[in-house]
Amino acid sequence: MAKLKPIESKSTAKVKKDFLAIKIIVFVLFTLYAASLIFAVLYAFSISLKGIDEFHEKNLLPKEWLFSNYGQAFKEVRANDSNMFVMLWNSIWYACGGAALGVLTSAITSYVVAKYRFPGRNIIYWMAIVTMMIPIVGSFPAQYLVYNNLHIYNSPLLLVTKMSGFGFNFVVLLSFFKTLSWTYAEAGFIDGAGHLRVFFKIMLPQALPVMGSLFIVTMVGMWNDYMEPTLFLKSFPTLSSGLYIFQLSQTRQFNYPVLFAGLLLSVIPVIVLFICFQKTMMESMSVGGIKG
Amino acid sequence: MEAVAEQKVSTAPAAEKGLKPEKKKRSRISNRRLKEILFSYGMLLIPLIQFAIFYIWINANSIMMAFQSFYGVAEDGGELFIWSADNFTRLFKELSNSEATVHIALINTMKYFAAGLCMIPVSFLVAYFLYKKVWGFKFFRIMFFLPGIISAVLFVATYKQLISYGGPIDKLLTLFGMNIPNLLGDESKVTGTIIAYTVWTGLGVNMLLYQGAMSRIPQEVIEAGMLDGVPWWRELFQIIIPMVWPTISTTLILVITSMFNSTGPILLFFGAGESVDNAAHMTISFWIYNQTAKANLNYPATVGVFFTLVSVPVVFLVRWALNKVDPQVTY
Repeated sequence: MAKLKPIESKSTAKVKKDFLAIKIIVFVLFTLYAASLIFAVLYAFSISLKGIDEFHEKNLLPKEWLFSNYGQAFKEVRANDSNMFVMLWNSIWYACGGAALGVLTSAITSYVVAKYRFPGRNIIYWMAIVTMMIPIVGSFPAQYLVYNNLHIYNSPLLLVTKMSGFGFNFVVLLSFFKTLSWTYAEAGFIDGAGHLRVFFKIMLPQALPVMGSLFIVTMVGMWNDYMEPTLFLKSFPTLSSGLYIFQLSQTRQFNYPVLFAGLLLSVIPVIVLFICFQKTMMESMSVGGIKG
Repeated sequence: MEAVAEQKVSTAPAAEKGLKPEKKKRSRISNRRLKEILFSYGMLLIPLIQFAIFYIWINANSIMMAFQSFYGVAEDGGELFIWSADNFTRLFKELSNSEATVHIALINTMKYFAAGLCMIPVSFLVAYFLYKKVWGFKFFRIMFFLPGIISAVLFVATYKQLISYGGPIDKLLTLFGMNIPNLLGDESKVTGTIIAYTVWTGLGVNMLLYQGAMSRIPQEVIEAGMLDGVPWWRELFQIIIPMVWPTISTTLILVITSMFNSTGPILLFFGAGESVDNAAHMTISFWIYNQTAKANLNYPATVGVFFTLVSVPVVFLVRWALNKVDPQVTY
């Protein structure tokens, strides 16, 4: 043993040296990549401060820092008669409402499937899994038709489509409720509470942290979604779809700096959420690895 | 009151006919059981109706629309459709015609799919080096993740400025006596340019998944390897990859099974004046979206149904194959 030790530490040292070289190369690559992302954001910020004519010179820095563009964005950015305030409000109800409905519905279905035994339970479980497995290619035409027939097309009622009790949220919450002890519920039953009361007063509050992180992740996704609002909520542009539609109105004198001011304003809520819930967000996205 | 205890005792077949004998006895247990079942169905009622309408009914509609062709306009102005397989005939013709939009879109979709596949080892390696605590790994972790949550509307608009004529990249190239080509206007370059964008911003979520999995590897295993002087590539290939394989295989399954859905934020690259209808930048799913926006429904529905059907056997084959490699694959 005593003889072997130095040989081993020598090879360890060599291995470490090898790895150091790799580490340096990787560090340089990472720095370059991170720099490209930071540069992009700074460049967008720089554009947002330029004058309307200066924009076309494409210099790195604005000659005059026009912070007034940010105020201008609230006046000038328009999509179908909605200004930034209206878009902000649309984004809030679309993203928060849709995420809340989706997570709550999944909590209900996953709780019942995890904790109750009833005829058809396995069918529901497999239904949820199989529908997640099959990637439907482009069901937009059928959605368009059905939403029109149900009169939820171009209406806030479109949120009912987000009330899905299955999918990713279902799988995460199902594994949570499965590990949640039933004794809490039993205590409630002994106190004379019904099933509904036990669910809402005892079991659901314990799931709030998990539901909260699912809510944030879903909400950010819907906040950034521009495809569905562009197609199905034409009269209710959100910040994402509204700023895209605003770009369509390009004229020769299109005010790019104001557009970029609006775009940067639209990502502030997400950045604030990320700063507050950084750990929750990154962790809840990485648990996806366990359950797909 | 002991739903869980009952679950454990009663076996599946007993639960199926469980109601009948209990009803006859009219015992307290049967009442309780009945309440449980009623509660379960009551809670599931709304989610199931929602599912029936927005999953089953919508997809049934896709299939029905695929078999209907426009026939003419009725006297009251409504559109008339007849049942036919014409849409499929048209699809097969267009798939074999290299000039047809659907044919080009399919090829482009496969390019996005290939890029998505290549991103798996790249984001895995990035996750690995962050796990090995390259200097500044905390900062890099956050930086690399950000494009995943920041609006693509902002990023695409910025990207378009970066690569535009006279933009920063062009200015950089001018130093070397070169000029940036018209990347978005040139039909042969447009798809590659958008794919480059998806690669540039597409590290995020998979990287986090791998990092999550790596952080769950017991530290003793890694330390044992280090004491034995295992070189880093052996540590990577013989310790880490096998241990996080379930996660890798989950991401592989996701990318492969949704291959016909592979696309980028194409819509955002084209505004007014720039033709969004050009075949050169189409993918299957964006083409369907774009046609729907113009209220062209039946033929796009056919394309969707056809590629969904093609991908179903792929789903099961890939799952079966990856289960063979490692039976631990979870979903």
